[in-house]
Amino acid sequence: MSHDAVMALLAISPLIVVSMTVVVVMLLIAWRRNHTLSAIVTAIGLNVALLALLFGWTMGTVDVTSVLVVDDLSRFGGVLVLMSTLACVTLAHHYLEGYDGPRDEFYLLLLSAAAGGLVLVSARHMTTLFFGIELLSMPLFGMLAYTFRDRGALESGIKYMVLSAAATAFLLFGMALLYAVTGTLDFAELGAALSRDGGDPWLLAGAGLMLVGLAFKLSIVPFHLWTPDVYQGGPGPATTFLATASKVAVFLVLLRLFQSTLAFHQDWWHDLLGFIAVITMLVGNLLALTQNDLKRLLGYSSIAHFGYLLVALVVNDGLAVETVGVYLVTYVLTTLGAFGVVTLVSSPYVATGGTADASPLHHYRGLFWRRPYLTAVMTVSMLSLAGIPFTAGFIGKFYIIAVGVEAHRWWLVGSVVLGSAIGLYYYLRVMVTLFLHEPGMQRRDATHDWAERAGGMVVLGVAALVILLGLYPTPMINWVSWVAGS
Amino acid sequence: MQIAFYLSGLVAILATLRVVTGTHPVHALLYLIVSLIAVAMVFFALGAPFAGALEIIVYAGAIMVLFVFVVMMLNLGESAVEQERAWLQPKAWVGPAVLTAILLIVMIVTLASGDYSGSISGDPLTAKMVGISLFGPYLVIVELAAMLLLAALVAASHLGRSEAHDEADLARERQREINGQRELEEQTRRTAPPRETRQTPFDAADKDAGTQEGKA
Repeated sequence: MSHDAVMALLAISPLIVVSMTVVVVMLLIAWRRNHTLSAIVTAIGLNVALLALLFGWTMGTVDVTSVLVVDDLSRFGGVLVLMSTLACVTLAHHYLEGYDGPRDEFYLLLLSAAAGGLVLVSARHMTTLFFGIELLSMPLFGMLAYTFRDRGALESGIKYMVLSAAATAFLLFGMALLYAVTGTLDFAELGAALSRDGGDPWLLAGAGLMLVGLAFKLSIVPFHLWTPDVYQGGPGPATTFLATASKVAVFLVLLRLFQSTLAFHQDWWHDLLGFIAVITMLVGNLLALTQNDLKRLLGYSSIAHFGYLLVALVVNDGLAVETVGVYLVTYVLTTLGAFGVVTLVSSPYVATGGTADASPLHHYRGLFWRRPYLTAVMTVSMLSLAGIPFTAGFIGKFYIIAVGVEAHRWWLVGSVVLGSAIGLYYYLRVMVTLFLHEPGMQRRDATHDWAERAGGMVVLGVAALVILLGLYPTPMINWVSWVAGS
Repeated sequence: MQIAFYLSGLVAILATLRVVTGTHPVHALLYLIVSLIAVAMVFFALGAPFAGALEIIVYAGAIMVLFVFVVMMLNLGESAVEQERAWLQPKAWVGPAVLTAILLIVMIVTLASGDYSGSISGDPLTAKMVGISLFGPYLVIVELAAMLLLAALVAASHLGRSEAHDEADLARERQREINGQRELEEQTRRTAPPRETRQTPFDAADKDAGTQEGKA
C-alpha cells in the first residue's frame, strides 16, 4: 500500500473503528444477548475511536479520497460527537434496564448514528454530506421510537422521520440544481462556480433549498415545528443524542459549506440569514416561556441557542470559527447536563403507554429535598444555558456578542441580549420549581444509586466541567483558537 | 430524442399526480408503475441506459412486491373475487393504459427514427463507467451506503418486531403457572372433598382456551 493510502486509512480510523464496533456488537447480539456486555463493548469501541482521533491530531490535514477531508475542524467535531455519544451510552444503559423488550439494538443504532456524525464533520463533497446526514438520521428514527409501545415515543419517531424525509428532499433538490448548473459536487469547486456567477437564479435556488434542508435538521425558525414534540416524546438517551451530537455535526457541516461554498458575495444573503437568526432567537425564547414541560422547554431553548450560533455564521469572518467552536463546546456540555438529569430522573424506563419520561415540570418539584446533588447539576446546567457568569455558557455567549459587536451587527447583538433576557425567566422558573416544597402528588424520581452508576458520574463530571470552564476557560479557548487558526 | 424526453417527463408528472391524488391503493400503485417507467425512459433519453434499466428492475420490481403484499393482506374468498371484478372496471385501467400507450408510441417513434445512440447531450453513460466511478472516487460512499442500509435494517427490524415473541414468552409463563396450579390442585384433590376436584378440569380448560386465544 502506498504511503498516501496508509495515511488516509489512519486519518479515518475513528470512523472505521466505530463502524467495526457496530459489526462486533451485532455479532455479539447474534451470539448472546447481554445488555451490560453490549453497552461495555460499545463504550470500548467509542473510546478506542476517541483515542485514534486524538493520536491522529499530529497528522494535519489529510485528504481521504476526493470526498472526505480530515483536518483539525473535523477532529474537533469528532471529539464532540464521540464524547456525547459516550455520555448517551452510559445514560442509555441505566435507562434501558427498565425496558422489557430487546435492549441491545439501541447501541447498534447509537453507534451507526455516531458514524454518521463522524462522516458529516469531515464532509467536503455533496455525496458525503448527504450520506452523513442520512446515516445520522436513519438510526435516530429507530432510537426516538425505540420504546414504540409508548404513544409519545412512536409519535416522536414518526414525526421526525416524515419531516426529516421532507427536509432530505429539499436538500437533494438543491444539490441537483447546483449540480445541473455547475457540473460539480465538490464544496470548493462549487464555491468557485458560485463566486464566478453567483447571480444565476438556479444557483441561488439550489443554495436556498439546501439551506432549507439543513435548517430543518438544526430546527431553525421557520423550520422548527417538529422540535418540541420530538424532544418531548423521545426516550431520554435518544433525545440527548439528538440535542447534542446530531446538532453539532450538522452545524459543523453547515459551517464548512459556508466557508467554502455558500460564502455569498451579496449583502442581501447576509441580511436574510441575519433575519432568520433574529426570528429564531426570539421565537425560540418566546415559545419557551409558557411551557410546563421540561423537555419541550429544552427543545425551544435549543432553537434559541442555534439562533445565537447563526450570528457567528452571518458574520463569517474574524473570530467566527472560534466562536462557533467555543459555543458548541459549552452548548454540548450544558445540554448533556440538562438532558442527563432528565434521563436519570426517568431511569429506569417505565412503560406508561403515553409519554414515559419524566418530562412535566411538576415531576421536578422539590427535587432538591430528595436529590440535592442531582438538583445541583440541573441548576448549573440551567445557569449555563441562561449564560450566567462563572458557567461555561457565559463564555459562549460572550463570544457571540463580541463577534456581533466587532462586525457592527447591532440588530443581531440586540436580539441576543433580548433573547437572553427572556431566557432568564424560564430558566429561573425551572430552578425555582426544583427548590419548591414537595407536594404530595405522584412523581418520578432517580434511583437511589444514581451517582454510583456510569450515567450519574458522567452527569456530575459534565456539571463540574461546566463550572470549571466558566472559571478557567483558557485551555478550551486555546484549543479552539488553535483549531480555528490552522 | 428531445421530444421523447419531454413526453416521457410529462407522462411521469401526470402519473405521479394521480398517485398522490388517488384514494384507492391499487389504482395508485398502477399509476406509480407508469410513473417509474416514464422516469426510466427519461433516463434513456438523457443517455443513461444503465440508470434507466435499474429504475425498471429495482423500482418496478419493488412495486410488484407491494402488489403481492396487497393481495396477501386481503382475505381470499368470494369478496376477493368481487374485489377483483371491481378492479377490472375500465375506470381503474384506462388512465394508466393511456399514459403507457403514450410511452409506447414514444418508444416506437424513437426506434423507427433509427436514432439509437443519440442522447440529448454528452456521451451515453454505460454500466462500466458507473462501476468505475463507484469503486474509484466514490468508494467511501459505497461503504457508507452499506452502513446506512445496516442501520435502516436494524431500525426496521426493531420497530417492526411483531408481538409474537413476547406473546410466546407470556404464554409459556402462563402455562407454567397453570401447571403449578394443577400440581397444587392434584395435592388438594387427594385431601379435599370431591366437589372441588370436579371443577378443576373446567378451570384448566378455560385457562387453556385463554392461552390459545392469547397465542392466536
